[in-house]
Amino acid sequence: MQLSHLKKIRIGVSLLIFVFLLLFFLNIHGRVIDPVAEFFLRLQFFPSLLRFTVITLAVSSLGFLLVLLLTFLFGRVYCSSICPLGTLQDMIIAAGKRFKPRKKRRFVYTSNKKLILRYSLLAATLLFWIFGSLFLMNLLDPYSNFGKISVTLIQPVFSMLNNSLVWLLQSFEVYAVSPMLAQSLPADVVAVSMGIFGVIAVMSVWRGRLFCNSLCPVGSMLGLVSSRSLYRIAFDDSACNFCGKCERVCKAECLDSKNKIVDHGRCISCFNCFDSCANNGLYYENAFASAKKVQVQNNSLLQIEKRSFFLTLAAGLLSVPVLKKMAAAQPADTSHPGLVPTGTSLPVTPPGSVSHDHFTGKCIACYLCVGACPTNVIVPSFFDYGLEGFMQPKLDYHKSFCNFDCVRCTEVCPTGAIKKLDRETKHITQVGIAKFMYESCIVTIDRTDCGACSEHCPTKAVTMVPYNGLWLPEMEPDLCIGCGACEYACPTEPYKAIFVESNAVHKEAIPLSDDHGPRDHDKDEFPF
Amino acid sequence: MYRRDFLKKSFLYGAAAGLGASALGPLTPALAGLRPHIIKGNYDLVAVRGDDLVAMFERAMQEMGGMSQWVKPGQTVVVKPNIGWDVIPDRAANTNPDLIGAIVRHCLQAGASRVTVFDHTCDNWQRSYENSGIEQAARDAGARIVPGNFERNYRDVSIPGAVRLKEAKVHEQILDNDVFINVPVLKHHSSTNVTIAMKNLMGIVWDRRYWHRNDLHQCIADFCLFRKPDLNIVDAMLVMTQNGPRGTSTADLVRKNSLLISSDIVAADAASTLIFGEQPANIGHLAIAERMNIGSLDLSRMNIQRVFM
Repeated sequence: MQLSHLKKIRIGVSLLIFVFLLLFFLNIHGRVIDPVAEFFLRLQFFPSLLRFTVITLAVSSLGFLLVLLLTFLFGRVYCSSICPLGTLQDMIIAAGKRFKPRKKRRFVYTSNKKLILRYSLLAATLLFWIFGSLFLMNLLDPYSNFGKISVTLIQPVFSMLNNSLVWLLQSFEVYAVSPMLAQSLPADVVAVSMGIFGVIAVMSVWRGRLFCNSLCPVGSMLGLVSSRSLYRIAFDDSACNFCGKCERVCKAECLDSKNKIVDHGRCISCFNCFDSCANNGLYYENAFASAKKVQVQNNSLLQIEKRSFFLTLAAGLLSVPVLKKMAAAQPADTSHPGLVPTGTSLPVTPPGSVSHDHFTGKCIACYLCVGACPTNVIVPSFFDYGLEGFMQPKLDYHKSFCNFDCVRCTEVCPTGAIKKLDRETKHITQVGIAKFMYESCIVTIDRTDCGACSEHCPTKAVTMVPYNGLWLPEMEPDLCIGCGACEYACPTEPYKAIFVESNAVHKEAIPLSDDHGPRDHDKDEFPF
Repeated sequence: MYRRDFLKKSFLYGAAAGLGASALGPLTPALAGLRPHIIKGNYDLVAVRGDDLVAMFERAMQEMGGMSQWVKPGQTVVVKPNIGWDVIPDRAANTNPDLIGAIVRHCLQAGASRVTVFDHTCDNWQRSYENSGIEQAARDAGARIVPGNFERNYRDVSIPGAVRLKEAKVHEQILDNDVFINVPVLKHHSSTNVTIAMKNLMGIVWDRRYWHRNDLHQCIADFCLFRKPDLNIVDAMLVMTQNGPRGTSTADLVRKNSLLISSDIVAADAASTLIFGEQPANIGHLAIAERMNIGSLDLSRMNIQRVFM
């Protein structure tokens, strides 16, 4: 095979993966998309690694091993083809070129002086992880950032366009397109996503895949492997005429055409160089078969890692959990319903996430669940979980509630932060318990019937009991699963008269009575 | 042509109702004069007992004089079932889908130019439309399904004479169609004890929380001052007598095997309440409705046809 074809294959594969994952993140799914997207999901490095720590004995958790193997064989094909953020960067690079003068479109080889930063960040990311915080991973992991960008930046635009189209079609009496629910995204989370996207975009336009070779922990980790990979790109001394074309198209800036050196730790195997060379001056060399001496900064690498270890240890110790918000104690005002402050000190985690510790320790904050949730009850948090759970999703019952029969988030989660639940298990998975605020309820204060909470309750943990000729809510906590339907439906303002207090460790609720069918009605006449 | 002027429409509604009433004069029973508003059909109320809901509906329509009493050729119809919950038909938390299908077919046979089905659901709307079976049944029968969760489809209206609900955002399908058929399912309700035809109208407004916050029963009654359905068809086959309105299992249901049809929303609710096993006067919004002269709870003064199949 011609090596110049490799670039075309790389582009095809990367676009395929990018498109399927983007569709999945935009919650466009179906019988064809789902299994393919799921397979591509399993190949994402850190999600797979996290998944391995949750569900060890499963083929679906071994994606990271496949990636490591691929990297060991052919270099960082992960970065050029599998990583959706890599493809996004390629798109930005391509778009950015249009706005640059011709001469500045070229890439230039840069020596790898920034190794300290690169490996310190990797070490810090891993250290944070070991000490139980995914803060750095969630901020730096490329898959996670692709998800954040898709769900918090692309999805809202997509949804707005969709709903405008719905509106337009409706004026022609066409109802073929369904409106999408407005996603309620916190402004701070959107701002962080925009910041991340901005940084990545600027780095891409400025220096190609700079992000992948400086900030990205996956890039750094795979770089350690690819610098020793079996097959690697090398110059053919006899064919190369020093034209420098390959260097100009190398977006990793790892090709030194003057000295005919390839920095394999930074090479992302995009194969642009093969395509650019008219003389076949580059080839895939077998490192073991070749007698060539490998030029890798092995010793310096070790030193750097040692140094960064201590540097980052200090940083790791700084990552103490942020103080939890303390509810201000003030005398309750009961002149109108909904004036008694509520609010839980801990956010509610999705069903299947076992406990706060499990969830915050495994969630990579990719927001796949946020995008997939049909009721939009899963929203990104900011510092609700403290620093260690930075930006991880939570259930927000102000705008929606968790659908009783739905287990979608448990199906899509790539890391195992939300473990797969079947419907029956979900029905008794108690993520929190609703608390009724007697002194804030419409029935007790306004003396009118309401019952919106009980109406929406799927397990009838909230029932209505007689109260001065009216009906008053009453809670049976053991039946409650914390779905938040009551909290959502409660009409009091500004505070709800019923709200869910999170379970730090999810519990089991009492299952509903058996479905033994309708009773017969003996009378065969009308009561009027 | 789609966003028609609402005032013009309400004028046309009034004129059509008036003309319809005078045309039907000879058919309507002598008691008509006692009723607070115009009733179409041969009876004030038709109640059917049987085992086959669709056959019962067909028999009830036959007794009433057919769907053409309400739907004239070329008119557009909106059918409003209860699709509140993401549950399967066996749970009877939503209107029976076969009944909706049959109603749509009757409307089209009567010459309706278009039949639209929607509800502002409580659970996720797409899941509720699908799992209730109503989306499929309505489509199969030839209706179109439109979403009820899209705020842009709601328009502000004012309700003259209302005590608490003086304004509401109402779905444009209610405002823009000629005929409005209300198809509730009889159920226990945690807030209002029962939910039938009047309570079902909460599914055509955008902000339900306002009702809950401002004397729910009064708001339910107030809304009837704005727009009463032309026809109410109450599904009382499987009646949820506890844990309503969502229910927790089929064990919440009792086979009451009944179907009621009436142009009078209050009469339909009064009769259904009795089937449920409650006294109409004990239901807050029904008592208010009688007090506000929206309708009468006194079934003994009505011309009722009872059918046993």
